[in-house]
Amino acid sequence: MASNPMQQFSVHKIGPEIKIAGIDLSFTNASLFMVISASIILLFLFFGTKEKKIVPDKIQLISEMFYTFVAKMISDTAGSKAKPYFPFIFSLFMFVLFCNMVGMLPYAFTVTSHIIVTLIMALFIFVAVTIIGFAKHGFKYLSIFIPSGVPTVLLPLITVIEIISYLSRPVSLSVRLFANMMAGHTMLKVFGGFVISLGLLGGWLPLGFSIALTGLEILVAFLQAYVFAILTCIYLNDALNLHH
Amino acid sequence: MNKSFSFIIALLAIRNNLFAAEAGMPQLDPKYWASQAFWLILVFTVLYISTAKFYLPKIKNNLDDRENKIKNDLDDANKFQELSESKLKKYEKILEDAKKEVVKIHIESKNLLDKDIQIKKEIIEKEIEKEILKAQKEISDLKKNSISDIQKISENIASNIIETISGDKLNESSIKAAVEDISKKNLGKYL
Repeated sequence: MASNPMQQFSVHKIGPEIKIAGIDLSFTNASLFMVISASIILLFLFFGTKEKKIVPDKIQLISEMFYTFVAKMISDTAGSKAKPYFPFIFSLFMFVLFCNMVGMLPYAFTVTSHIIVTLIMALFIFVAVTIIGFAKHGFKYLSIFIPSGVPTVLLPLITVIEIISYLSRPVSLSVRLFANMMAGHTMLKVFGGFVISLGLLGGWLPLGFSIALTGLEILVAFLQAYVFAILTCIYLNDALNLHH
Repeated sequence: MNKSFSFIIALLAIRNNLFAAEAGMPQLDPKYWASQAFWLILVFTVLYISTAKFYLPKIKNNLDDRENKIKNDLDDANKFQELSESKLKKYEKILEDAKKEVVKIHIESKNLLDKDIQIKKEIIEKEIEKEILKAQKEISDLKKNSISDIQKISENIASNIIETISGDKLNESSIKAAVEDISKKNLGKYL
């Protein structure tokens, strides 16, 4: 297992094979860790909201801090119109954050290191934002591709660039998260392998690197969840408040 | 910087694995894509519904409650502060009034006392004067009486002396006149 740093990303079936209409929907280790992450979030929120104290205890304080953190993030980037989408952004941020963090545990599987998972989330956001944009503004939403204050000569070129950048949003959003998580975990695995292969004499340096990288990866895990959520907020802002 | 760095590492990892014996990235194996998509949508939907319908409103309520409580408490505190300030002002006013009253009473009683003392002093002075006058009168009376007594005694003595020396009884009125004459002449000497 330790020999190949990519081994940690392999998906395998847990339990019986579930096939619906010829599609394999078996419960896998990836599914297991999605369930674990979601359960931790729900348990956390359960204990965080169990007692309604005026002076909160630690777990209540942390859940309230998450709430205010995400609420502030949304109101700062997308304004008050984005309030109905707060639960979605909150769940999204918490889900990505906890998947990343759970993935940092030894022998754990990182759900967000799979392109298919991040791509589905990013595509959902992309489609939802586009639908919201057209629902709120109709065909005027297309003016998002025509930035104001651009010389008329450059307009065709800029519009093409804007359309490409708009369409590449799901790709950049999903690849950013997936690549960061995969790269980090691969790197940790590689340095971990060095510790074993260099043995007692030379293994100390890669071990130190491993420890430092673990700290860095925890930071990256938080940062990528934050970036994922805040970019969603920014896309939502484009759709809700047309003139930026 | 961080992004590009991790990207290079990712690319290195991919290349290393392409050279390795086993297949490259398990992420690109579509075998379990449908399964992952299915479970992701399922789990995320459950998470979304339970947070949106259940937990977030609870947190929001609690935060609002706390904000209201803090606001109310602050309002109460302000009210009480105003109240205490007004009470303090009242208290200070009472104190000031009392001080003024004290000064007033002090001055009044002092005046009253002064007047009383003045009156008593006058009465006593009058009495003293009266006494002095009385005593002076008594003294002058005494003086007068003593003069007439002396005259009588001198008359008697004079008549006795004359009787003894001459054997004659002299006219009483002439003796009296002589004594008076002498005493008038010598009165200044003794008084």
